[in-house]
Amino acid sequence: MKADWTLVLLPPMLFCFLLLGGTQFLFIRAGFFEDLGIGLIGDELVLDNYLTVFTDPFYLDALILNMKVSSVVVACGLLCAYPVAYVIARMRSGQWAMVMLAAIVVSSFVTIVIKVLGLIIIFGSDGVLNRALLGLGLIDGPLKIVGNVYGVMVGLMHYVLGFMVLMLFSVIQTIPRSLEEAALIHGAPPWRMFARVVFPLSLPGVATSALIVFNLCMGAFVSAALLGGGRVLTLPVVIERAIVLDTEYAMGGTLSAILLVSVILINVLSVWLLNRFRKARLVIA
Amino acid sequence: MTFAVRAVVGLVYLFLLAPVIVVAGASFDGGKSVAGRAFLQFPPSELTLYWYENIQPRLWEALGVSVSVAAVAAAAGTILGVPAALGIVRGNLPGKTLIATLLRAPLQIPFIVIGIAFLQTYYFVANAVGFGLQGTFAGLALGHVFVATPYVVGSVGAALQRFDLRLEEAALSLGAGRWTTFRRITLPIIMPGIYAGALFAFMVSFGDVPISLFLAGASFTTLPLEIFHGMEFDFDAAVLAISTVVLLGSLVVLYFIQRIVGLDVLLRSGGNG
Repeated sequence: MKADWTLVLLPPMLFCFLLLGGTQFLFIRAGFFEDLGIGLIGDELVLDNYLTVFTDPFYLDALILNMKVSSVVVACGLLCAYPVAYVIARMRSGQWAMVMLAAIVVSSFVTIVIKVLGLIIIFGSDGVLNRALLGLGLIDGPLKIVGNVYGVMVGLMHYVLGFMVLMLFSVIQTIPRSLEEAALIHGAPPWRMFARVVFPLSLPGVATSALIVFNLCMGAFVSAALLGGGRVLTLPVVIERAIVLDTEYAMGGTLSAILLVSVILINVLSVWLLNRFRKARLVIA
Repeated sequence: MTFAVRAVVGLVYLFLLAPVIVVAGASFDGGKSVAGRAFLQFPPSELTLYWYENIQPRLWEALGVSVSVAAVAAAAGTILGVPAALGIVRGNLPGKTLIATLLRAPLQIPFIVIGIAFLQTYYFVANAVGFGLQGTFAGLALGHVFVATPYVVGSVGAALQRFDLRLEEAALSLGAGRWTTFRRITLPIIMPGIYAGALFAFMVSFGDVPISLFLAGASFTTLPLEIFHGMEFDFDAAVLAISTVVLLGSLVVLYFIQRIVGLDVLLRSGGNG
């Protein structure tokens, strides 16, 4: 009976692996050709593109900017999503919790370009927010958000907040309420109960969701391209330009390979660090 | 709950829902007086259906392409993903963990990289055999199937892991055949997982820009790509109108999901796939 399930697995597995292996191998290989301009590439495998990327600060800056923006968004995302997830998980009325979760699901299901469109209407220099703030006399001139790195961060926050709330909710929900009550009954102030009981127990979930969101941000293209107004050059934007504007197919391949490898490296590194951290804690405890 | 926490929760909800409301609201704005800048009007100065009457055929066609591609991605993702999940959870192939990780790998690859990888592959195949999929519907759909399948594998796998095997044993011991057991017991129980996975697959495919950017053809684009180019280059406020149509469509779909299987299905299978 067991062998049959293996037979069921094989066809889709082979198909998926062929797509995965074939496409990844071919694009990484393509990154080793020389760009001859106007979409033509040489036919010898060379390291020229990689040398260019690692010696030209333009490309390295893009990668560093990418990592900085993603880290800030992960940090801000956790700060905003955690309280929301906690409040929903601890709501007394299950019906209200369902409504609040449904609102998050609805907003996460809206296509990102439509959300970015709305964000531009709100955060643009002549947008809803600026007109409101000017009308209230809180600012003298319009805040510049869209068209620079803050706009990109706002867009990325919007992209990931919903996912983050849902992921953190599913973790916090599994922490028994009785543990909190026990801490409170024994005289712990609420902040201390949170810092010593709830937060440590939710840490694995926090780490996983931070990592997933970091990945999403590293590869995010729509928010960076539209809310950055073409001036915020993160790696995905640079990749799109190399291919669409400059028709440098080989260079696009090289940069994509570097993006992919850095994402994978950061993931492996964080998982390794987390495991070490967990073991160290066990020794202390 | 302290005031500060309430404030954060309120602001997060405002932030998450406001863009959607603003897009829908602005689509009813006349906005002809400020030609080209009509998209900045919220709240609308006067209510009109002008932009709805002026949605160009191009946008409707793009919507059609998007729906077809997403339907293909969801269907093919289900056909590939359900057996794959069954095989992973119930089979005993050596290296199952590695196989499961590799099947989920497309979720770890940035979409823009997937788009480029498929484009390069199509060029390579075209060079080798004289016929490639670049700029064709099949080529676009294949790229979407690639990212859609892991969602189905993920949610069906989660449903199978919760599955109580005694139910199947009961059916078998009462004389049902293996196929009958699968069709009458297993399938109905994992059905919510299949729905959720297919829905995620559909939505991910429907909303995608970076993959379609490289795989769509000169003669056909997807709706998100049209909206994307509209925002990058020449803005047409009719984009707001068709976005609102899509928003309404998504709401209707979510309403039916709530009626048929309940939205909590989406939560249980984990939005991240």
